[in-house]
Amino acid sequence: MASGKKFLVGVFDDESVLIDAIGKIRNSGVKIFEVYTPFPVHGLDSALGYKPSNLPVAAFLFGLVGTITALTMEIGMMGFDWPMIIGGKPFIPLPDFIPITFELTVLFSALGMVFTFLIISDLNPFKLPLMFDKRSTDDKFVMAIDIESNHSRSNEETITSLLRENGASEVNSKTFE
Amino acid sequence: MQITSPVRPPLVTGGKTYHDVTADVCRPVESAPSKAWIAALGFALMLLGFGLYCVYRLVWDGIGMWGLNKTIGWSWDITNFVWWIGIGHAGTLISAILLLFRQKWRTSINRAAEAMTIFAVISAAMFPVLHMGRPWVGYWPLPLPNTFGSLWVNFNSPLLWDVFAISTYFTVSLVFWYLGLVPDFATIRDRATSKFRQIFYGMLSMGWDGAAKTWSRYEAVALVLAGVSAPLVLSVHTIVSMDFATSLIPGWHTTIFPPYFVSGAIFSGFAMVLTLMLITRVVFRLEDYITIEHIESMNKIIVLTGSIVGIAYISELFIAWYSGVPYESYCFLNRATGPYWWAYAMMMSCNVITPQLFWLRFVRRNIVITFILSIIVNIGMWFERFVIICTSLHRDYLPSSWAYFKPTMYDVGVYLFSFGVFFTLFFLFTKFFPVINMSELKAVLKSSSGSSNSQSNKRA
Amino acid sequence: MKDNQKKYWKSIEELNNDPEFLKHAHEEFPSYLPLKEAHPSKSSEEGTGRRDFLKLMGFGVAAVSLAACEAPVKRAIPYLVKPEEVEPGIANWYASSYINGSDYCSILVKTREGRPIKIEGNALSGITKGGTNARAQASVLSIYDEKRLKNFVVKGKEVRVKDNNSEYASLDKEIISALKGVSNKGIRIVSRTIYSPTTLKVIEDFKAKFPTTEHIMYDAVSVYGMRQANKKSFGREIIPSYNFSNADVVVSFGADFLGTWISPIEYSKQYSVKRKVSETNKTMLRHYQIETNLSLTGANADYREAIKPSEEGLFLAALYTKITGQKLNVPAARESKILDMAADDLKGAKGKSLVVSASNDVNIQLLVNEINNALDSYGSTINISRACNFKKGNDAQALKFVDDVAAGKIGAIIFLDADPVYDLPNGAKLKSALKSVPVKISTSLKIDETSEFCEYLCPGLHFLEHWNDAEPYEEYYSMVQPAIAPIFRGNRALEESLLIWAGAEGDYYTYLRKNWQDNILQKGIGFDEAWDAIVQNGIYEPKAKGKDLSRRASGGRRVADSISGQTDVNLIPIEEPIDASIQQGNQNYTFSSNLASIATPIANYSKALSSGGMELAIYETIAMGDGSMANNSWLQELPDPITKATWGNYVTVSNADARNLKLKQGQIVSIKVGNQSLTAPIVVQPGQTKGTLGLAVGYGRSRAGISGENIGVNAFPIIATSLGNFSYALGKVTLTPTEGFYQIATTQTHDTVMERESIIQTSTLDEYKDPNWKKPFTPAVHTQGKEVPAGSPDTDFWYRHDYPNHLWSMMIDLNSCTGCGACVVSCIAENNIAIVGRQEVINRREMHWMRIDRYYSSDMTKAKAEEEGIGAVKMYREMEDPADNPEVVFQPMLCQQCNHAPCETVCPVAATSHSSEGLNQMVYNRCIGTRYCANNCPYKVRRFNWFKYFDNDKFPVNTSMSNLLGRMVLNPDVTVRSRGVMEKCSFCVQRIQAGKLTAKKEGRRPKDGEIVTACASACPTNAIVFGDFNDKKAKVYNELTTENRKRSYAVLQELNTRPNVYYLTKIRNKKA
Repeated sequence: MASGKKFLVGVFDDESVLIDAIGKIRNSGVKIFEVYTPFPVHGLDSALGYKPSNLPVAAFLFGLVGTITALTMEIGMMGFDWPMIIGGKPFIPLPDFIPITFELTVLFSALGMVFTFLIISDLNPFKLPLMFDKRSTDDKFVMAIDIESNHSRSNEETITSLLRENGASEVNSKTFE
Repeated sequence: MQITSPVRPPLVTGGKTYHDVTADVCRPVESAPSKAWIAALGFALMLLGFGLYCVYRLVWDGIGMWGLNKTIGWSWDITNFVWWIGIGHAGTLISAILLLFRQKWRTSINRAAEAMTIFAVISAAMFPVLHMGRPWVGYWPLPLPNTFGSLWVNFNSPLLWDVFAISTYFTVSLVFWYLGLVPDFATIRDRATSKFRQIFYGMLSMGWDGAAKTWSRYEAVALVLAGVSAPLVLSVHTIVSMDFATSLIPGWHTTIFPPYFVSGAIFSGFAMVLTLMLITRVVFRLEDYITIEHIESMNKIIVLTGSIVGIAYISELFIAWYSGVPYESYCFLNRATGPYWWAYAMMMSCNVITPQLFWLRFVRRNIVITFILSIIVNIGMWFERFVIICTSLHRDYLPSSWAYFKPTMYDVGVYLFSFGVFFTLFFLFTKFFPVINMSELKAVLKSSSGSSNSQSNKRA
Repeated sequence: MKDNQKKYWKSIEELNNDPEFLKHAHEEFPSYLPLKEAHPSKSSEEGTGRRDFLKLMGFGVAAVSLAACEAPVKRAIPYLVKPEEVEPGIANWYASSYINGSDYCSILVKTREGRPIKIEGNALSGITKGGTNARAQASVLSIYDEKRLKNFVVKGKEVRVKDNNSEYASLDKEIISALKGVSNKGIRIVSRTIYSPTTLKVIEDFKAKFPTTEHIMYDAVSVYGMRQANKKSFGREIIPSYNFSNADVVVSFGADFLGTWISPIEYSKQYSVKRKVSETNKTMLRHYQIETNLSLTGANADYREAIKPSEEGLFLAALYTKITGQKLNVPAARESKILDMAADDLKGAKGKSLVVSASNDVNIQLLVNEINNALDSYGSTINISRACNFKKGNDAQALKFVDDVAAGKIGAIIFLDADPVYDLPNGAKLKSALKSVPVKISTSLKIDETSEFCEYLCPGLHFLEHWNDAEPYEEYYSMVQPAIAPIFRGNRALEESLLIWAGAEGDYYTYLRKNWQDNILQKGIGFDEAWDAIVQNGIYEPKAKGKDLSRRASGGRRVADSISGQTDVNLIPIEEPIDASIQQGNQNYTFSSNLASIATPIANYSKALSSGGMELAIYETIAMGDGSMANNSWLQELPDPITKATWGNYVTVSNADARNLKLKQGQIVSIKVGNQSLTAPIVVQPGQTKGTLGLAVGYGRSRAGISGENIGVNAFPIIATSLGNFSYALGKVTLTPTEGFYQIATTQTHDTVMERESIIQTSTLDEYKDPNWKKPFTPAVHTQGKEVPAGSPDTDFWYRHDYPNHLWSMMIDLNSCTGCGACVVSCIAENNIAIVGRQEVINRREMHWMRIDRYYSSDMTKAKAEEEGIGAVKMYREMEDPADNPEVVFQPMLCQQCNHAPCETVCPVAATSHSSEGLNQMVYNRCIGTRYCANNCPYKVRRFNWFKYFDNDKFPVNTSMSNLLGRMVLNPDVTVRSRGVMEKCSFCVQRIQAGKLTAKKEGRRPKDGEIVTACASACPTNAIVFGDFNDKKAKVYNELTTENRKRSYAVLQELNTRPNVYYLTKIRNKKA
């Protein structure tokens, strides 16, 4: 994705330091490419100005699909395709349909949402991750800043010092061929 | 960050840093298997082997290999099924409901608990298939288009509800569990030294890079999944209980079954989690992560659900008398005093009486007693299902068909088989997967670890 | 399959060699082989089932096309259907007679593709009136007994008979010369009771040829004492005809006339007529049973007294005194309220009362005659001038015969299908003595305990394989018509053999016709039409009042017109009250009293029995009888109506003795009588007299075949003789418990109904007479704040489906059901039900769709617990124990075809659903075997195939499926169920469909009674009524809506399963 690009990689040791840093750096007008953390740091997305995800809506819609599928299947098969007298019950005994309807609702919404998530976040077994610093899955918090996108306002040195001032324990530069 | 009351003792002891967490959790995965682990796996495989023979005879010769008869059509088979399903509730419950309740102590046990859930559900799901007269057509309960034309399934049947409930539950739990594993796989991948491990865990981690954007979506997904799993986990045992509640056999036809079964499930599920965690923490030296605090919290839930179950037993007896239905009242009288009184006694003592010990703090905090009690609870819960299923059937309406059930070697063998499957899978899991959810633990490390954050101290 | 076929062809390759067969082969085969080819063999279980069926059909067609070819040659007249028709899928019906030893039943044989597969009663018979019993029903399986000899045997060497029969010629030469060689020494023909006048004539011819011949006729269980008594009283050594339907009071001393005594089917019919009650008829016969063992008849009695065998004479004497006031010089019997009541009732019902006794002691029978005479029974309930030809055996002769053999006086013995070594009390003596007899010939179908010692075995034929006649009652003739040509070339009718040895010409069939023409048929009727009519109807009863031949014949044809041969309208239960003809005939008799001479011997007999030790009463079981059908697995697995035990006999011990001697069910005890002793497991039997034991004959065969061999213990050897008669009452019996145990395979382990009123409802006649009588229990349900009767629409959650076309329903009258078990065997035969063997019965896995639940009353009742303040736990405990002399209820239990079936709801794959005609349908090949339906069935009538029961070496006793010959009996209209599927009563849906089809072809609705389930058609008392509830003319409709509306109830009505099977409250004729 970012081949040939040159990035400055700020490595932080502590999430609270990172959060403050993000605020300051963004105020100084430097665009942050992305931040990589070993665990979900609360307040990080707001600091980066990310909008909350719409996935719950997707979940709801998928659930709806599940409900409709279930009821159509049950009513269609038992009520119309081949009605049978079963235990003297009517051909469409709605109460008996509730459990399966519920289960399919849950199934559809859960699977639907998860797969949506995998697709939009571009996660799949054959994806090679974009690693600025391997330690970002262990105990380091990594901030990647794309130099080209910021060269209009500031250059490598200023960003490096900006990072250092804001508590980055190291600043490396990384280029993806 | 949540506010945690200062009086609450730390959930992670030993002043762990983020890196320590990673190191400790990854150690079993990265180091060579320990002797203890190999021994354990070997034992599990032995069970599997013997069980496999019994399953083979069962499938080859017929259900007649079991001790069932014209009156008692279900006994150990469905008892085991319900028992395993019950156990399979703890995991999702812990991760889903406790997540919604923001119970942070769950973080160090939910991974193993979910794994246990999934393996328990697998063990459980074997029985509905194996108990069929013709397991080779075991796929017929699925509403598949077929060459017979309009040949569908019977949506009135609670057994069919089971099929949907359990497969849904299994799928969702699996997804939930795997999703939680992805970031940790990434950690292992990035620590991996050998090419194979890099590729293996690389694929498992699906190219996770821990980007903030992904994390925020990830959390949304986790929250919603927890939201849908919570009612799901309750629905599963409710539906299982309907197998009995919707029938008309005295002792089965009981409206309190759903809540009664669900609390029973949590009861036995937590007990099983405890049993396994107490072993794991020793075997993998995770005492700092699975602490007395965790164990005590679990024990509190056990004594609560155990008491609920006890109340259910008593109200059953009361209703049997109060209803004035002769068959109902005889059924329960017969349970307690009839040929199967010993099963009833086992159930009562193991499920209602002994768990009351957990009202005592030192018992809750005593590893050994907890371990023993956790096993006793599951023995009791097995007998509960046996009592409900077998003693209700063996003397139902027409005295002419009253009968007695004696298990054969094959009843036992198939039960052992399910243990073999369960433990084999569980031990493999402990070896190759991170048994503690690192990312979640790190997230709560500061708020819940004993030491104030150690990063700065270290740098100084 | 290929091998199977080879195997099969080998087993009856004689067939293939038969030129006639070959002649027809090219016609027969092409039309059937394609059927086989058409179905590619599947590997799946259900595939096998179907393949087997096809194999069977092919097999049957090919093998038995013989019958098809030969029947016309012999001019057999199939019942209702032209003989040349043997079409696959179309059943042919033949009228014939079931005869085995002293069992007789006029029957119809259903054949498919030339194979007899089912036996029904012949409603035209004036004797059995369409009734059958378990043994008659099961006899069809015996044709296909693998143990049957396929060839004759000379000196232990089987000689294969080729088509040209040259072997027989040489055999006959050899035998004749052998007989000639010893004829001076004396020849004996040994047989059981022979009904056939023509066979007797053949024997006469033989005697004429060999003057030194004597014919020994004996019965394994004999009533010779009664014959002697009647000789003394009336000058005729006969059994009279009894007419229970004329009696208001019956007192039976140990006579199991509903089960095993003389002519049970006939008596059951008569008895049931007087036991049925309804709104319009609130009278019934009162029945006292005074006996030692709890017999089927005793179980049906209103009042039952348990006595020791030794007390029988004393009780009869007491009864006589109470009736006539005349004192007899015998010790006084102990006080018995029941005897007093019986005496009063008998006196009150003079001329409408009947006393019978099963005792084989001539003096006791004489006393019975005295009593009956004092009660004017002769001419009303007993017809002395209409002789009954059952049980013609002569004990004295039999005993003398054995002595003669032992004395070496005999030169040759011909055993006509008799097995005296097994079933004579002194069989052992005979066995050792036989060596001294130079020539021994047997016509047994199998190698049995006797024939194994015979030089010459020329196996006879099964009664369904050859022509014969019978005369069960004087001038009441019955035709034995073959339904299949001899399956084995090497067999030959015993009459044929005798004729040939007597040097006569021609075959037995022509001989039979000639005999009828000359001696039997009344003159002045065209012989051929007459013969055809007789053969078609199966009977000829010139004496039957107003039932001359022509009407009989037309009766047969009426049937024929109404329906074209597939379903069997003649299974309509005959409701006409019992044949008045029994009163016909010269009724003036002279009764010569012997009072003076009998008192002392009776007293002595009683003393002899009671002096020390326990007493033992020998009896026959419903299933096994004299044991000649021991290799019939259907009978072996038929639960005994009383003990519900299968597979073997046992010593019955009273509750009291079991308590005192600390005996447990199944504990092995050793019994010592005189110098005879045996060991057997015990069954604790409520109703058994304290201090007595019961033991059944008919078991312990040593040469019978897989299902019969070494099952139980042989009781014949311990039978004593008193005054030259076999005595089935034994005294001075010592019982010594052993450590050993032998689990009794019972199908019901719990004896009482635990006061569950919605299962069994009983009342008494006096209560029932009250015009506003209500059945004891009508469950009500509280719903929407009001109380409504259970099963009413208010209790439904949903609207009800309606059944506009048919609604098949069944009514079972607990009053008339005697529990005999004929329906059970009939169901086995009709529905291809697997026999699972002893161990699986012990595992509670018997497969019977139709079972008969037997409940004893208990001393503990809720009322009693109430007043004595006994706690629930103790109460229920004690309720489980039956009373020492309990009341007994029989309840046939089959699928109740619930309209709100609990089983249907729970099947995940909809393998069982409801038909639009109210049938609960089971779809075998959809079933996956979760057994949920069986669990949820409150009636527990569903049966699961725990194993693969057909051609499986693990189930060799399942003879109707495990071997290729046995499979010929399977009903091709019913699937053989595969392993792992559920099965259950289908209301004989195959019969319903066939009946509907016939009606449809004739463009009409099915008539009531035209469609009858196997159980209903088999019932000798018409206790089971089946029909279409939507048909306002149907019996079942009228009974349930008017005639017996008040008595009818559905079992477990409060569950609102809405069954289509209704039961009628059992009314006991007890004094209030």
